Amino acid sequence: MKRRTMTLILGTLLAGAAGAQSADPNGTVTFVTTADPTFNPWSPNAFVESNLINELLFPGLTRWDKDLKPVPDLATSWKASADGLKWTFNLRKNVKWSDGQPLTADDVAFTFNDLVLKKELGANQGSTWRNSVTKVNVVNPSTVEFILSRPWASLPTYLAYYAGILPKHSFQGVTDPWKFTAFNKQNPVSSGPFKISQVVSGATVRMVRNDNYWGGKPKLQGVTFKVVPDSNAQLAQLLSGDVDLIAIGNPETVDRVKSSPNLAIDIATANIYYFVALNQDDARFQDARVRQALLYAINRPAMISSVLKGYGQVATGPIAPIQKTYYNASVQQYPYDPAKAKALLAQAGWRPGPDGTLMKDGKPFVISMPTASYQQLVPISLLVQQYWKDIGVKAEIKTMDWNSYIQQVIVKRDYQASAAWWSTPADPDVLPYYDSSAANVGNNIPNYKNPKLDTLLENGRKASSQLARRVVYNEAQALMAKELPYLYLWYPQSITAYNKRVQGMRGITQAADFQYANEWFVTK
Amino acid sequence: MLGFLVRRLGQGVLVLVLISLITFFLINLAPGGPSAASRFETTAEERAALTKQLGLDQPLVSRYGQWAGGVVQGNFGVTLNGGQPIGPILRQRLGNTAQLGLSALLLSVVIGIPLGILTAMRRNSVLDHVVNAITTLGMSIPDFWTGIMAILLFSVVWKVLPSSGLYDASAGFSAVGWLQHMILPAGVLAFVMLPNLVRFTRSSLLEVLGMDYLRTARAKGLREQRVIGKHALRNAFVPIVAMVGLILPALLSGSVIIESVFGLPGMGRLAVDAALGRDYNTIMAVTLVAGAVVIVTNLLVDLTYSLVDPRIRHD
Repeated sequence: MKRRTMTLILGTLLAGAAGAQSADPNGTVTFVTTADPTFNPWSPNAFVESNLINELLFPGLTRWDKDLKPVPDLATSWKASADGLKWTFNLRKNVKWSDGQPLTADDVAFTFNDLVLKKELGANQGSTWRNSVTKVNVVNPSTVEFILSRPWASLPTYLAYYAGILPKHSFQGVTDPWKFTAFNKQNPVSSGPFKISQVVSGATVRMVRNDNYWGGKPKLQGVTFKVVPDSNAQLAQLLSGDVDLIAIGNPETVDRVKSSPNLAIDIATANIYYFVALNQDDARFQDARVRQALLYAINRPAMISSVLKGYGQVATGPIAPIQKTYYNASVQQYPYDPAKAKALLAQAGWRPGPDGTLMKDGKPFVISMPTASYQQLVPISLLVQQYWKDIGVKAEIKTMDWNSYIQQVIVKRDYQASAAWWSTPADPDVLPYYDSSAANVGNNIPNYKNPKLDTLLENGRKASSQLARRVVYNEAQALMAKELPYLYLWYPQSITAYNKRVQGMRGITQAADFQYANEWFVTK
Repeated sequence: MLGFLVRRLGQGVLVLVLISLITFFLINLAPGGPSAASRFETTAEERAALTKQLGLDQPLVSRYGQWAGGVVQGNFGVTLNGGQPIGPILRQRLGNTAQLGLSALLLSVVIGIPLGILTAMRRNSVLDHVVNAITTLGMSIPDFWTGIMAILLFSVVWKVLPSSGLYDASAGFSAVGWLQHMILPAGVLAFVMLPNLVRFTRSSLLEVLGMDYLRTARAKGLREQRVIGKHALRNAFVPIVAMVGLILPALLSGSVIIESVFGLPGMGRLAVDAALGRDYNTIMAVTLVAGAVVIVTNLLVDLTYSLVDPRIRHD
């Protein structure tokens, strides 16, 4: 979820944009990160501060192209068996780790069998992988087989999603991979276009070009990440020229950036959607009319104007418009309509009490709504509270810090409504967030259970052709828009501010751009 | 004197044990858990595995026992959110905070005490009123705002100083480079500390200046500088030394904000990050070290009294 912060599109940083300008052969760029990174994409200690850095260090078998489709990276080709339970990946030959050792099928098998699929390790995204992948077999040094327990059409996409391959030889004799400080925090052996040269805890991570990189010599001499937790300090560093690129969290600062001649702004979308989850363990929310009413009551365009300063688009479901192939806009819509909201609630048996609060069976419609003082969650919750108040529904907001919020909402599921967001791979497979089996224990935050949706999402995983998948996911989107497992708020646009001297980024999403870092350069 | 030292050190150890007990049980009773096991997308299965790995499935008392046993052997354990040994991190962060804190203290003392003396000697003059206004400002304005304004002016508008971060000595140490990085954070922190020191010095000296023995000194024909420098300051310095002793812990707490604003990796930021991430082991280590610093500082201040005023004896 926190990946959202760093998942941006750099639409105008196109490789050709500086065609007429010459690249500085000794050029370096400086980015920011919010905390000391963990150089291991699978470590539970690797959060948003580590994701992009890990992409520079540890390529996956696949990466994204401009349409966010998986294309070759460490794997050159792949093929699924007829029953969809075995995927064979042919690996790129002559790929070397930064220490000169060859990268082989053993490394791929080690990464998955010994880290990701080991239940007791609790690796990042481990559940998602264990849900479908049983094991990875080495066929020969340049071929691996993924053995699946159930079909998973999205496997190549997920292999591009922070799924870097790690060097088996570095982990020889290591009993606890998450406490392998020499690797995770100091100087890992890597295979990406850049490698670590120096880490100063709390201050900087310096990377230099990796001459062993399979994709050719990177155009930049190095990349530095400065650890700057405070967003105001990040902006100050960008304005003073100390850093080259930051993600803008507060849209109000955009004008300040625009006034600087050296800087440019890029606006884009990613596969992110904000929502209000209504806990389905609460009988009141099991009535779809109530869920629909609560969404009709929210003026989402107005919220986008006020909270996001216009940088967003009303959401219709979990598949964002960035997934052009699969996004289905022809689903039930919920324009701001308090009258309709009241009518639906009346149908569901909710009538205004003496003080205007809706009542049913002698009980007022009061919703406990915990939220975290993190990014824009508090203002979002306050606005939702106001809109619901207008139709006679009382929301009681309790603000807490992030970790307390996680414990209350995610671990204990002790909430009735809560605003949050999902950031997922650009793939229509949203099973982990909606499947009945993920209620209470997984990523199905509202604990929504619908056998029809389960079947559709399972069929989506089985569908082998793009057309078949489209059919399934169009139907799934229509069902989700009608049923509202989550109250969909908006697809936010990401704002990136950067120094114009940085060139060569492909302009996909930031996560995708970092998979082509060897192409970046700075102008002289 | 030796008896005094042993007694005070014994009391210090007892205080540290109490601090560790209270802190350990308080942070473990607080809602939320370590970030490593508190991700939005972590499933129940992953959380169970991580909780076991971190030893959080053990009873609290046995966890405290393990932690205390490690500390007695000089081992603070590893961070819960990262699995790094805490000792080296503490050393590095303490060094950075010491650079910031001592620089700020030096600035505060070098500027604050002379200003306090001057304003006491020229009571109700223009200088006194101006300094009074500035110190009132310093006490009123929050340090994070002062920090952000300093960055805005010196780094963004005038571009004369780095906006934040630590001096990078990897290419060789340069005093100028170090100063450039340290002057803003230390200056802002000193600006926060200064008002107390100026006002305290002023009032302490004013109190002494009204005493009979100084009138006698003046009556004997001693020059004013000698009256102030030799006779008045000596007595006024005892409370001033106490004040400096009080400033040191305040510098530690002030560094929390300043280090965050200026992106300095010190103890303050470590404490904040550890608290937010519920990194119990790191919180314990930081609390213990901060407690030890305060205890040792107070002891040093008490010992300094006898140097300033020989009548004070620690028997």
